[in-house]
Amino acid sequence: MTDLLELAEHESPRGSLDHCVKCTICETACPVSNVTPLFPGPKYAGPQAERYRVGGEPSVDASVDYCSGCGICTQVCPQGVKIAELNARARDALKRDRGVPVRDRIITRPTALGRLGTPAAGLANFALGLRPARIAAEKLLGVHRDAPMPRFAGRRFSRWARGRTSPATGRRAVYFHGCGTEYYEPETGEQVVAVLEHNGFEVVVPSQDCCGLPLQSSGLFDDARRTVLRLARALDGALGGDPDTVIVGNATSCTLMLKREAREILGLEDDPVLKRVSERVYDICELLLELHDRGELRTDFQPVHETVAYHAPCQQQGHFIGKPALELLALVPGLEVRELTARCCGIAGTYGLKAEKYEIAMAVGRELFGQIEGSGAGSVACDSETCRWQITHGTGRPSAHPIEYLHRAYGL
Amino acid sequence: MNRELHYDAVVIGAGVAGLVAATRLAQGGARVCVLARGVGSTHLAPGTVDVLGYAPDAVREPGPALEQLAASQPGHPYALVGAGVVADALDWFVATVQAGPLPGYGYVGGGLELGGRYPSALGALRPSALVPVTMAAGEAQQLGRLCIVGTPALRDFHPSLCAANLAAAGIDARAVPVELELDRADANTLGVARRFDDPGWRARFCARLAPLLGGEDHVGLPAMLGLRDPFGALADVEQRLGRRVFEIPTLPPSVPGMRLYEILSSALRAAGGRLVLGAEVVSGRWSGGRVEAVVTRAAGHDRVYAAPWFVLASGGFASGAIELDSHWTARERILGLPLRGVPPAGEPRFVPEYASEQPLARAGVAVGGDLRAEGADNVLVCGAALPGAAPWREHSGEGIALASAFRVAQVVGELAGSPAEATA
Amino acid sequence: MVTLSTDVLVIGGGATGAGVAWDAALRGLDVVLVERRDLAEGTSGRFHGLLHSGGRYAVKDPHAARECVAENRILRRVAADCIEDTGGMFVATPWDEAAFADRFVQGCADVGVDCEEIAVREALSDEPRLNPRISRAFRVPDASIDVWKTVWALARGARQHGARVLPYHEVVSVNRDGDAVTGARVRDPRSGEEIEIEARVTVNATGAWAGRIAALAGIEGVNVLPGRGIMIAMNHRLVNTVVNRCQMPTDGDVIVPIRTVSVIGTTDRLTDDPDDHTVLEEEVEQMLDDGEKLVPGFRRARALRVWTGVRPLFEDAKQAPSDTRDVTRAHAVLDHKARDGVRGLVTITGGKLTTFRLMAQETVDAVCAQLGLQRACRTSVEPLPGSETGRHYHLGERLARKEAALAGEQMVCECELVSRAKLEQAIDRFPAASIDDIRRRLRLGMGPCQGGFCIYRTTGIMHARDGLAAEQANGVLLDFLQERWKGSWPILYGDQLRQARLDDWIFQGVLDVEHLPR
Repeated sequence: MTDLLELAEHESPRGSLDHCVKCTICETACPVSNVTPLFPGPKYAGPQAERYRVGGEPSVDASVDYCSGCGICTQVCPQGVKIAELNARARDALKRDRGVPVRDRIITRPTALGRLGTPAAGLANFALGLRPARIAAEKLLGVHRDAPMPRFAGRRFSRWARGRTSPATGRRAVYFHGCGTEYYEPETGEQVVAVLEHNGFEVVVPSQDCCGLPLQSSGLFDDARRTVLRLARALDGALGGDPDTVIVGNATSCTLMLKREAREILGLEDDPVLKRVSERVYDICELLLELHDRGELRTDFQPVHETVAYHAPCQQQGHFIGKPALELLALVPGLEVRELTARCCGIAGTYGLKAEKYEIAMAVGRELFGQIEGSGAGSVACDSETCRWQITHGTGRPSAHPIEYLHRAYGL
Repeated sequence: MNRELHYDAVVIGAGVAGLVAATRLAQGGARVCVLARGVGSTHLAPGTVDVLGYAPDAVREPGPALEQLAASQPGHPYALVGAGVVADALDWFVATVQAGPLPGYGYVGGGLELGGRYPSALGALRPSALVPVTMAAGEAQQLGRLCIVGTPALRDFHPSLCAANLAAAGIDARAVPVELELDRADANTLGVARRFDDPGWRARFCARLAPLLGGEDHVGLPAMLGLRDPFGALADVEQRLGRRVFEIPTLPPSVPGMRLYEILSSALRAAGGRLVLGAEVVSGRWSGGRVEAVVTRAAGHDRVYAAPWFVLASGGFASGAIELDSHWTARERILGLPLRGVPPAGEPRFVPEYASEQPLARAGVAVGGDLRAEGADNVLVCGAALPGAAPWREHSGEGIALASAFRVAQVVGELAGSPAEATA
Repeated sequence: MVTLSTDVLVIGGGATGAGVAWDAALRGLDVVLVERRDLAEGTSGRFHGLLHSGGRYAVKDPHAARECVAENRILRRVAADCIEDTGGMFVATPWDEAAFADRFVQGCADVGVDCEEIAVREALSDEPRLNPRISRAFRVPDASIDVWKTVWALARGARQHGARVLPYHEVVSVNRDGDAVTGARVRDPRSGEEIEIEARVTVNATGAWAGRIAALAGIEGVNVLPGRGIMIAMNHRLVNTVVNRCQMPTDGDVIVPIRTVSVIGTTDRLTDDPDDHTVLEEEVEQMLDDGEKLVPGFRRARALRVWTGVRPLFEDAKQAPSDTRDVTRAHAVLDHKARDGVRGLVTITGGKLTTFRLMAQETVDAVCAQLGLQRACRTSVEPLPGSETGRHYHLGERLARKEAALAGEQMVCECELVSRAKLEQAIDRFPAASIDDIRRRLRLGMGPCQGGFCIYRTTGIMHARDGLAAEQANGVLLDFLQERWKGSWPILYGDQLRQARLDDWIFQGVLDVEHLPR
């Protein structure tokens, strides 16, 4: 028992700083510090600055607020230092010391925003499209006037889901659709459900709210904890007694929040419900690829004759499962897939919306945008909704979740 | 669901050895997946191909020296792979770089026939068999009058010391510091390399440097001539300065090493191989003397990769793949494979003189003549995980990585094709 | 040969010697201080950094405890900037005799240590890595003290009052004129140049080496038994409070958070050579096991460096053995006029860092007595240079400074946040300094990478600024590599071994230091 405790402590973000050999590999990959001196880089802000932090003493390093939380540093670190997690905790301490801007309190609550915007979608979308309104929002709230804002769909995915029943097949999947699907892209959710049902799953859609990731990445840890635990309980309740039931999501950043970030960054390692949920969570492409590996994925794909560029978002890469979407898209006859190697689009959830960070986010995205433009692809597949909005904003090209291409190829 | 995926071969580690082994396997038709905790050796190494620099005296002709080494040290990786494989691996490497994504960029040098010596950032002459074309003009014998250029804005390169040591070695060298404005105090060569990708910035750099040059015919710069088109940048800078220009490798992060990572990972992609970063392999699932699958720590839960063949390219003590714990027990961390070359209990692991060879230095995973790990019939070992070498002292790291990775893919091909394996 | 003349010659540049120089200079005496190597390179600099509250000695040695109580309070005022107010804790672990805790409380009350029992839960909440099996916890005003900062401040203060401070001046002979000591001849070991120093009184403040200096003056029987102890610095602050085991003082029973690291100490073995820096594997094992008792997981955490300090344990061969108090840890001022009939020489030895000021005070009192002067000591009220505001330093200071100059200050040592400007200042002020000398001033090279990244940078900057010949620069670099290796190899395992291999890669593989022109 003590041994396990020791191990947990040793592998905690703080404990993991011991593994840092200062090799700078994280710095080579950090999208933010490579475009702006305002963020001194993951090695500095992470394991290096951490040695100077004493719990209870005031934060002295405000520069950590410029970390976008993309998590690439942790992913490339060959030594196992939880750099992004250290930064997130330092950001939390900073916010506790210095307060949180009103803006961050608003844009980090997609559920509340969605509920407000959905019934008046026409008006809300109209307002978001108005230059004077955006300028006012920038001045009042610090949301950049040009930042990519999604359009309210005007309907909610959960309403659609509640109106139908998935045929019972004995193989259940609990669908965690996330806020993006709920308020902005309900059609993606419908495609996920259709593809899962096509492959023999009975899809259950419990009532659910935000995962708390936007709160966490803005350093509002207490609110984030409450939010993610509420979600975990909702999903757990839908699991039922069947040990083979999985939880599937299409928002890779939100599934990552459930899988790992809430436990490591928010320090919720010990919550038994969250632990149970996190072990059951699948990204939709991860699940389908595993089905395929077992010979259980239906491959009755119709040819799709087009060229698509695929970008694996940072948070998807943070699952540490490679790029399953790439392998799935390769199964579709006729579909030409171009893998994009640029690591980050810049948006990092709500980072690129903030007035003081918008230009940084766009500079981060430039390499990816250039690759997309040079790829000859007509559209971009990408697993994360905020990244898709940023990509479309940065390139003018349409973007969609990989599931959309599979859905189309299945002819559903 | 069981979170399990199947491949023909799984390679652990994404340094030079892992990427080359995986690419070779994929080129042979295997479905290959590379699992790596993070980015590996490329970003830290100078980006040269060092085959055998010291044995222990300076080696002029790596080829014959390799054969002698193999004869006198039967446990050395070169003895296991054989000199012929080293030559084949170097040829393949040169061709792969040439066909890679960086136009005109390639590796040149005397190879196994005649090793070159190129300035280090301290001004020592490092022996390398092959170097990127951007370093070629630094070969010591061709150097005439030389100017070493650096800037105080860059903390990782110090031209005066470099030039002074070169001068002490009989090379007509002087240092020229250039004032550069960088947007941050702690810039490294990578930050400057990104600037060098911009032709406008290059032109301004050259305009500032040119008036400071005298009668020198060579200009040495820290290795930072860009990431996207280093060959084009080199040609541009040479033309603008009217002199031969070369890069000098310095402290990590290594710009030439990052180019090499791009080249090798793109070769892997082109061959259809997969790379999963962040996937730390924590254990193996054994069946008898074989590993059936390895387990990675993914987000939220473990993920299993099953394959008939595994390649361990996870590095040695530097990567942590081989660990010495506080009770002084050494172990291979992933699969618990037996080690060779670890001093027995009671014998010194280290000695008080830094300059001496440390007794633990040559420890590695015990392998047979075909690079199969002892006790694991389907696990092959390559790169810095191999025992018997002191790669930094010998200046042999890339040669061992390339040749052993190349050999590992050959062995898998031979064994997988053999009747015994077909029925296994 | 140069000849200097002074009131007081102080031999020894540790905390005591520097403290004597400061005290004497404040009393208006003309002072020359000589140190054979760098200031604080001996016992003072090889110390864990604990400013005692007195708790440690409350039961075992109430006299020493009382001294600590008083000196702790004084130093917090006059050396504020050298002290981090970490606070301290005594905790009863399952390995400690349960009854001791009550004796501890009583002892603290008797000698005046502010000691407050706190709930175990509170102790664990303050220090989450502490062993959860502790049964009692007490708060005391322990603190950590940066001894280098203290010694520089003492030397700076002494200089400001006219003292001449000469590091790298080794005593080759102590001059006698009949029954009087009249000064000493010293030599700069780097240049070989000698200086003759004439002094009215010479102070032998050489700690564990005091017997040797006394012997040079022809005085016998000053027996200082060097007690060798190892300390291990862990990579970061495993605790932010000084944590002591609540038991009779013994080995490995304290972890001190000092600067960016935490230090466990110490072992205790007699040696016959004060320059003996041996680290035995069994001592390392002992420290790690002891660390494990206070902080479970200690062995998995990263050990950065090990070093040996040599305490001066004084035994006066001329004193009657009837004195039963444990004199070995106490300090002793020997007025050789009274003791041996030799005028002009005072020896101070024994003692502990916390009481260095008191030791200096008593020593200078003896000096004044020999000179027939009546001058009051001012060191208990006069703040050291840098400590005038009375503010303690805090761990985040360097990070805060870097943040304020994020785009403007180039960091040479990233681990310990040492800027190029600070380094260049040090190079200019100490032209012949080794990197090790600079390390003691700036903490350069003392972090996780142990110089892996900053040694090349520093050598390059020194070369460009100092105009060293290439072979001198190479020598500086190689010497420091060896110096770092010395404190590294006996504790190389786990994370630090990975670091050492990366450092080898840089120095051997990338820079090829093994084939530099020599």
